Amino acid sequence: MRVGVISFPGSNCDQDTLSALGALGVEAVPLWYGEKSLAGVDRLVLPGGFSYGDYLRSGALAARAPVMETVERAIRDEAMPVLGICNGFQILCERGLLPGALRPNASGEFLCTWETVRVASVPLGFEGLAAGDLLRMPIAHHEGAFSVEPGGLAPLFQNGQVFLQYSDSVGQVHALTNPNGSVANIAGVSQGSVTGLMPHPERAMADYLGSVDGRKLLRGWLGEGDR
Amino acid sequence: MNYQDVGLTAQEFAMICDKLGRTPNALELGLFGVLWSEHCSYKSSKNLLADLPHEGSAVVQGPGENAGVVRLNDAIHVAFKVESHNHPSYVEPVQGAATGVGGILRDIVAMGARPIALADSLRFGTDAASQSLRHAVVEGVGAYGNAIGIPTVTGEVAYASGYEKNPLVNVMAVGLLPAERPISARGAKPGSYLVLLGQPTGRDGIHGASLLASQDFGEGTEHMRPTVQVGDPFMGKLLMEATLEAVGTGLLDSVQDLGAAGLTSAIAELAYRSEVGATVWLDQVPCREPGMTPYEIMLSETQERMLLVVRPSNMEQIIQIVAHWELPYQVIGVITGEKVLTIATEEDPAAAVVAPDVLAGACPLKPVPQDWAAEVRKTAEISPEFTPLTWEREWGLEVLGSLDCMSRAPIYQRYDSMILTHTVWGPDHSLAVLTVKGVEEGLAVAVRGPGRYAARDAYSGGMAAVARVLALLASQGAVPLGLTDGINAGNPDKESVFRDLMALLAGIGDASRAFGVPVTGGNVSLHNETHGEPIWPTAVIGAVGRHPHPLRPVLDAPETSGLDIVWINPSGDAALGGSVFESLRQETTAYPRPDLARLAETYRVISSVAQSADHLTAIRPVEDGGLFVALSRALLASPPSLGMTVELSADTAASQLFTEVAGQFLVFCPPETAGRLESAFGQWPGAFMRLGRVTGDGTLTIAAKKSVHYGRVELERTYARGYRG
Repeated sequence: MRVGVISFPGSNCDQDTLSALGALGVEAVPLWYGEKSLAGVDRLVLPGGFSYGDYLRSGALAARAPVMETVERAIRDEAMPVLGICNGFQILCERGLLPGALRPNASGEFLCTWETVRVASVPLGFEGLAAGDLLRMPIAHHEGAFSVEPGGLAPLFQNGQVFLQYSDSVGQVHALTNPNGSVANIAGVSQGSVTGLMPHPERAMADYLGSVDGRKLLRGWLGEGDR
Repeated sequence: MNYQDVGLTAQEFAMICDKLGRTPNALELGLFGVLWSEHCSYKSSKNLLADLPHEGSAVVQGPGENAGVVRLNDAIHVAFKVESHNHPSYVEPVQGAATGVGGILRDIVAMGARPIALADSLRFGTDAASQSLRHAVVEGVGAYGNAIGIPTVTGEVAYASGYEKNPLVNVMAVGLLPAERPISARGAKPGSYLVLLGQPTGRDGIHGASLLASQDFGEGTEHMRPTVQVGDPFMGKLLMEATLEAVGTGLLDSVQDLGAAGLTSAIAELAYRSEVGATVWLDQVPCREPGMTPYEIMLSETQERMLLVVRPSNMEQIIQIVAHWELPYQVIGVITGEKVLTIATEEDPAAAVVAPDVLAGACPLKPVPQDWAAEVRKTAEISPEFTPLTWEREWGLEVLGSLDCMSRAPIYQRYDSMILTHTVWGPDHSLAVLTVKGVEEGLAVAVRGPGRYAARDAYSGGMAAVARVLALLASQGAVPLGLTDGINAGNPDKESVFRDLMALLAGIGDASRAFGVPVTGGNVSLHNETHGEPIWPTAVIGAVGRHPHPLRPVLDAPETSGLDIVWINPSGDAALGGSVFESLRQETTAYPRPDLARLAETYRVISSVAQSADHLTAIRPVEDGGLFVALSRALLASPPSLGMTVELSADTAASQLFTEVAGQFLVFCPPETAGRLESAFGQWPGAFMRLGRVTGDGTLTIAAKKSVHYGRVELERTYARGYRG
């Protein structure tokens, strides 16, 4: 399987994401945002970082880069699985490929901490993950407060689009486990073949880094289950 | 414009006229003004720094380059350095701190090394205004480091009223480079082009070095705002990637970053070190605004610029790389064989003509009185010692919840500490442990700058700063490869300040010699004073060490009950001078002078215990707040069920719990290891004490005649929120 990782100017988790995918045994291909074709990849990751410095809203400029036309077409025509991590999630929301938006954290500050997230519903194509599973992964963002327009929340839950919610260590989701002011503690959502999440699975790939749950998540997304 | 306007003295001006054989024109005078400023020339400190040990088996590059370089193994070298951005961070805290991070990262990149870690050392006052300053400084450090994607893996912070108007923002950066890569700031060859890369030059930061960083603060700083640069981490990221890719081709003569004093310093230093000359076509420099004068262009400190020296035949390949990263660039001059620096404009092909060695190498240095060296090493004035005769439960919480001891989490959680996925131990530990991809050895990175210890006896404080940081490496069994020193002090023209500065450096020098660890470079920030009140002389020492097994750091908190609790205190002394406990009660007195030979032996033993550590032993250096804080922090880092019981004698308990004398370690270990420590330290009275045991009751119990208990929740809350917070 070939997985492309798209770098925009200012992306900075691209190398970590490439090595995480490489460690799972898939062929991970770096793709520069200026490239016209997707080089025959089967899946795409939009990694974290500060594309274009995040000087406008996070992800707003990258969402309008030409390569996103190609990405959008691949999703529409081939149901290409696309995973957006952190800034990648922000880009997908800005492009309208995922519902909602990521606003500045409630604290107004950048936040880098370990969090537990609970799987609310498993997105299309994931294997080896079940609702109720708990995953421990770091977050590192300034704009991670997921929000939706009034009335937009219930449909997300009803359609099974809420992927991850910040929880405590036993899976209880409540206000005290909400690090950034996300509505309903939402840490990740999906829409069709597109999934986005704020936590960084590529940073939770080994015990010495603090957790291996990132492997489980990425394997799940690759459709390989937790072998 | 006369010489005073650019910050020169009459004597310096006379010397310049003498060297040139004529009176400099206005532009030349401006160039001398910045390069002969304290900030660029190190004129007050250079003779003092010369006394530090620079040689060592791991040293690849000592002081004099953009950063020091040491050998991790045969394949990988480590570039590292600390730099300050104190004055700008007071005038404009967010941008001042951010550009401080950007600047030190460019220094590492200019060495051809890829930055892998940042560490920050911050000092603030204790008033309310200082807390908003802290908020903004932390925002700035994070804004740059987070966006450019380099993790801030460790750091420290301390507070004292003396830093109210002179906060300190020191940042250390660490980078890796392949061993075969040549050190690149001295390879410029005649005929090669000067290629200026990055941000177009603007009117920002003019006089940042000469007027802002080289003078004391007086009334108001508003008018100095324009001397502070503005950071652009996005451009910084592109510049870093492009420069490293260009360096990787092996096709560059040389690289020089643009920092303090902008183009002036970059070109003069480059030509001076490479022993060549240069002609700069000033009209070619891309400017952000029209009508900039040659003087403004040469002095601008616009950030995110890099100067590459490229042979004409290699231009095409380099330009391709630069174009990929979409960076603006321009050829702005050429290297010449004759050692003359010529600034040419359209109107005047000889707008300035100066020899690089006069400009960059001839600034007169402040002499050091010969007898001072012996004098500072003489025993300091002994202050009346403060020894409490009782011990109160509340005191523990007061110290643990004091500004200097409480959790730094509200700061470091605003930094990305995990990006690049090599942070095994991040900022929630006392030092960082990092893996290095592809090799077994890792890095231990630590930074300490105990200003309080230098407040009354700068010599003692200088020794203690080195001792503190190396204790952290010893606790991991990491082999120290080198040190970087960030010196911060007041106005060196005052005798008392200069004397302290000298004592501080004598302390650093003596300690690094005693421990056998070289200082490979650093930074000096002077004129940290407002209204004539200088800060405490503050030496921020950064260290990198070779960690033998980074995937498995030696524990710093026990994980099982039943272990012995051992306190190693090589001096056997429990004086409270310079401690947090003392500072909460009275004026700080002199810090007890460390016995360096004894400390060196102690670190050797601790390091060897750490290297052979079973999986049970935990080692924690005793730092601010003394034994009590070390015990509390170890407890909070242990599984919730664990507790600790220690026994002390009632009349000495307070001194023992709160002394911060150098070289103390807290060790949690099985009886065999305790026995090994006892036989190693038994030779020194009071150096080894078996204090008690790790229990299973979730409580810290201190038995000194009466038994007092601290619950985990109480300690946790105090540590997180401060005393009664």
